[in-house]
Amino acid sequence: MPEAKVSPSASSDQLLDFVQYLRGKKIPVSPADTLDAVEVAELTGYADRTLLKHGLAAALSKTKDELTLFEVAFDEYFHPRNLNSLANQSPIHSQNDVEPSPAPDRGPSSEQASEPNLEPLEGLRGNALFNALESQDEAWLSVAIEVAAAEAEVEEIILFTQRGQYVRKMLDALGDETLREAAIEFEQSEPAAFEAVQALREELRERVRDRVERAYLIHASAATEDLLDESLSKIKLGNVDHGQMARLKRLIDRMARKLAARHGRRRRRFRKGKLHVAETVRQAIPTDGVPFHPRWRKTERKRPQIMAICDVSGSVAAYAKFLLMFLYALQDLLPRTRSFAFSAALGEVSDLFAQLPVEEAIERVNLKYGGATDYGRALQDFSDLALAEVNSATTVIILGDARNNQADLKAYLLGEIKARARQVIWLNPESLRLWGTGDSEMLQVERHCHMARECNNLRQLEKIVDKLLSDRR
Amino acid sequence: MSDNHYPALHDVDAIQQAFECAGYICTRRIATVVRLAAALEKPMLIEGPPGVGKTELAKTCAMVVDRPLVRLQCYEGLDESKALYEWKYGKQLLYTQLLKEQLGDVLEGAQGLSESMARLRQFSDVFYSEDFLESRPLLKVMEEQQGGVLLIDEIDKADFEFESLLLEVLSDFQVSIPELGTIEARSKPLVFLTSNDTRDLSDALKRRCLHLHIPFPTVGLEARIVESRVPDLTQSMTEQLVRFVQAVRSLDLKKAPAISETVDWARCLVLLHARDLDSELVTDTLNVLLKYEGDIQTAEGHLPKLMAAAAG
Repeated sequence: MPEAKVSPSASSDQLLDFVQYLRGKKIPVSPADTLDAVEVAELTGYADRTLLKHGLAAALSKTKDELTLFEVAFDEYFHPRNLNSLANQSPIHSQNDVEPSPAPDRGPSSEQASEPNLEPLEGLRGNALFNALESQDEAWLSVAIEVAAAEAEVEEIILFTQRGQYVRKMLDALGDETLREAAIEFEQSEPAAFEAVQALREELRERVRDRVERAYLIHASAATEDLLDESLSKIKLGNVDHGQMARLKRLIDRMARKLAARHGRRRRRFRKGKLHVAETVRQAIPTDGVPFHPRWRKTERKRPQIMAICDVSGSVAAYAKFLLMFLYALQDLLPRTRSFAFSAALGEVSDLFAQLPVEEAIERVNLKYGGATDYGRALQDFSDLALAEVNSATTVIILGDARNNQADLKAYLLGEIKARARQVIWLNPESLRLWGTGDSEMLQVERHCHMARECNNLRQLEKIVDKLLSDRR
Repeated sequence: MSDNHYPALHDVDAIQQAFECAGYICTRRIATVVRLAAALEKPMLIEGPPGVGKTELAKTCAMVVDRPLVRLQCYEGLDESKALYEWKYGKQLLYTQLLKEQLGDVLEGAQGLSESMARLRQFSDVFYSEDFLESRPLLKVMEEQQGGVLLIDEIDKADFEFESLLLEVLSDFQVSIPELGTIEARSKPLVFLTSNDTRDLSDALKRRCLHLHIPFPTVGLEARIVESRVPDLTQSMTEQLVRFVQAVRSLDLKKAPAISETVDWARCLVLLHARDLDSELVTDTLNVLLKYEGDIQTAEGHLPKLMAAAAG
């Protein structure tokens, strides 16, 4: 393997680059992890690729998923193809002081022009770039390309579409201009010389493009990913297309994890309450009845039991899907979530979600309960089915647009639910100013809820669930 | 680098061989991580489905390096008095009673309260000395002169608070006891943490560890493990058995059979003097391999397919 020859300092730079690359692949690597990785690499060395891979995996990947990502990333990054260019790069670190512009003094090359009609190229012999390209002087070219890259500030690249622009900048910095002029000059008169120059220029362009793409992979993809996540969390959930589902799912999982971490902790902090006399006395036995360790009654904070009632008719189905996804991603914190779906009729779908992956369950639900919306009947069905189980620990979340096709919504049923439940929250994907227009019964509904919110993107959804979890009414 | 503490863990290939001699067939990845953990003095966090040999790895490692294994089984409610240290209250009380009688002698001739206090103070520290300290696993392993192997089993079962407690122990190998000060490990132990992934561990803990995920083994590896653990089973039987188990894992089960179940099953077959893996035998002994009624039914439903896989 060529990396065995890479000097130590180059390798550790290499490793830092690789860490950047991992961050771009959504593997969080802290500076401390990086230090560990450097230590690991010193121990394993770079010669045995598998050894290095296993060692770095142990230091850098923290979960099974990250391990999978890591292995792919490692194979991509330390691909033999890339390694060649890496190995060639090493002179940069040792010869940085060498000024690349003046040509290394080389006499007329011995294997010069085998064909007589390449004679005109003699005019270019003074050009360092041309000489290096023609004699395949890897070291010189690598240094020159790195210098040009620094000049063109190629590490600033953010978007994939900027590649062309950076390639142009770098070529200018390298002095491609001279070669281009020569090519134009030869184009009419000297076809053979023209071909030769163009071939060399194409090769140069190829190298530069590689360099720019590498910069993009390392520096930009991380930024781009964040940008995409950011915009995705603000986009209307109804407009998310199929291709973005995987990303959205990841985003939801991440948000859920964040909420879980925050509220899992907070629950414990509120545990200290009244003195637990019996337990304190019992604890005092070894200390001869002196109560060294007071014990406290634990205030069990009831986790809210959630009953989610979702409208799955066409217009709102997409939102229902995300609400359910979110709630079920929070299974740890909200273990007894029950879900109901309706369009015309209403039915409990908790079992579906317990048994199937979320996406599949949602498909099934849509199939089973889809149809023309009837809120009145749905609320009636819910009352028959589960009202008896609604109690002061239950939070009822209803997701729907409250557009009931002019039929009676039976809001008094909602009032009954409100009287029993801890809270009733209505989430409406429609924007606030449309509430009450046309056949929307939202104004009537609002009176019977503790909270009615507009909810059509992930941000809003996260806020609402956050509120739900911190609720200590 | 503390390679000299555990010379047996100096080289990846040597580790692999030593472990194999001790009856633990490990992959190169496992050997690499053990080697790094020994050299970098970092704890190892081992994850994987139940029964793939996480605990066994720590035990084998203790055997290979020839150091005592100190095991701390985690559970909900585990606290420092059970994991770290506790004062021997009873002994302290007894000594106080004994001292009471001598109090007169000690205080004899003391002038005024301050002098009496000064004399008593000479004894107060005695009660909070190592004589009255009951070492629990974490402290015990640090008191080992030659270092030891600490196995913190199923860390995911312990509370969040306990994890924070571990941080000091794992990063600096020291324990702070308010009455005594900080006790440092005499020699840094090898630490194994195992987790069944029932909950996410804190990032702070993860960051201090090297990570090792042990998945279900490949056919070849599993066959070697069964061979070394159950040498009485014929080679053709071993192969059939392993292929069968591998096929079972591909089914949609509540709990896929792990290596320990494969080995148990192999032992059963030896006991039953089985010569060939036929459907009748499989149906009769499937409960060794699968632990849920539903899973057994699922497997029985796919029996022809599984038998075909076993035949190869």
